[in-house]
Amino acid sequence: MVELVPTLLRQELTRLAEDDIRLDGRGQWEGREVDLEVNCLYNAEGSAKVVMGKTIVYAGVKFELRTPWPDRPAQGSLMCSAELRPVAHRKYEPGPPSPESIELGRVVDRGIRESGCIDMESLCIVPGEKVWGVMIDIHVLSDGGNIFDACGLAAIAALRTAIVPAERFDVGEDYTLKVKGSPIMASFTRVGGRYVYDPSEEEELGGDERIHITLGDEGHLHSLQKGLRGVFTPAEFAEIFGVAHLRCAELRTLVANQEGN
Amino acid sequence: MAGYGDVKLLRDDGLRLDGRKIDEMRPVTIEAGILPAADGSAMVTHGLNVAVAAVYGPMEAHPRKIQRQDRAVIDVRYNMAPFSTSDRIRPGFNRRSREISKVTAEALESVVLVERYPRSKIRVEIEILAAEAGTRCAGLTAAAVALADAGIPMRDLIVGVASGKVEDTVVLDLDKAEDNYGQADLPVGILPNTGEVAFLQMDGDLSPDEFNLAMEYNFKAAAEIHVIMVDALKRRYEGGEN
Repeated sequence: MVELVPTLLRQELTRLAEDDIRLDGRGQWEGREVDLEVNCLYNAEGSAKVVMGKTIVYAGVKFELRTPWPDRPAQGSLMCSAELRPVAHRKYEPGPPSPESIELGRVVDRGIRESGCIDMESLCIVPGEKVWGVMIDIHVLSDGGNIFDACGLAAIAALRTAIVPAERFDVGEDYTLKVKGSPIMASFTRVGGRYVYDPSEEEELGGDERIHITLGDEGHLHSLQKGLRGVFTPAEFAEIFGVAHLRCAELRTLVANQEGN
Repeated sequence: MAGYGDVKLLRDDGLRLDGRKIDEMRPVTIEAGILPAADGSAMVTHGLNVAVAAVYGPMEAHPRKIQRQDRAVIDVRYNMAPFSTSDRIRPGFNRRSREISKVTAEALESVVLVERYPRSKIRVEIEILAAEAGTRCAGLTAAAVALADAGIPMRDLIVGVASGKVEDTVVLDLDKAEDNYGQADLPVGILPNTGEVAFLQMDGDLSPDEFNLAMEYNFKAAAEIHVIMVDALKRRYEGGEN
């Protein structure tokens, strides 16, 4: 069955793209306003809420004591997962984690993990016996487009405010988790033939492939992902890579300012 | 391990550990229409509990075998976020959340004019973001406001409230310590205009007199929360937005 609305929407987006116009009036590389709130959940050891247009995402950090992996006896562990629950949009169905939510969680996980912002050895309590497991759970409450960037931002902001609950687990005094740097994601979707930054819900519905770029403080790449059907040229990538540096730096400042409050 | 009676829950001055009176509920705030993707939504904070509800529909009921020829079905999912409690909860449905979802759906089907929408489904998603005893009540209240926000016709709102017993004393609205170490918990869903009850659970030990007093407290609290619910819905539509 041909989905009628996306077909019409796609035509309209293509028509607008010829004049370099976006449906909501933004410029090609212009993001929506981002509202970030940290320490907003009472039972989480670190938490953040991100609002970007109609997208609302929460992230919460929890810790648990576990035995280390046999091949890394002196390292703790980090796990980041995302849930796309039916609360977030009528398109999401109940049931076990969908491929979409697994991809989302893993892309955010890679960006944080590979940036090295968490020193895994600092999470070791007794080598070979007892280490901290850090769990970042991301909860999408409203999908209004570009949940990848919202989830990435909420995850790192929550992590950066986390307190290790050592007293509750009887292994010393509580302390602030040491996080070095802020990996930030920037996402682009092809809409009407050209890429745009921070796609809205409509742009995702009537668009094509998407590219997610996670950059560390030094501007190094830590995670890349191309999703959905479509191809791109190296020249196109070079252009969005340049944009990603600018947008990531802005969001990194936002994260830093939020912590200062 | 501490059990009934091992933990002191009432102070010598007769107040509770958090300074509340016996028949005083925790502060409640409600905001309607907080989720842009949903047809109706609400956030309820009740003490430190945070409950969010989203409503989608009425929509076609799938699979067909769940359809009712004469009315809509209400499909409720109550879910606690992994970070909502002291120890992380593994994501996914468990026996507790399934039971709460079932009785919450049945309570809501008692007030929604389901006969207006034969063969359709109304989806109600309840997400608990922070839990401190009383999440099913906060979730029920949020669901009722979200249904009203979605413009779905109802006979009345439902208010979720609970009373219980600690140190042989009936108290309104148990907090976490009182819930863990108390002697009884009586969560109910009250229709504030008709005075009927659509949701009822209880565990612990209550005498008939204690039950009557607990219900009296519940009705008193329901009237207070009802005012806050109506205010939230009015605020949502003030100024002609949406």
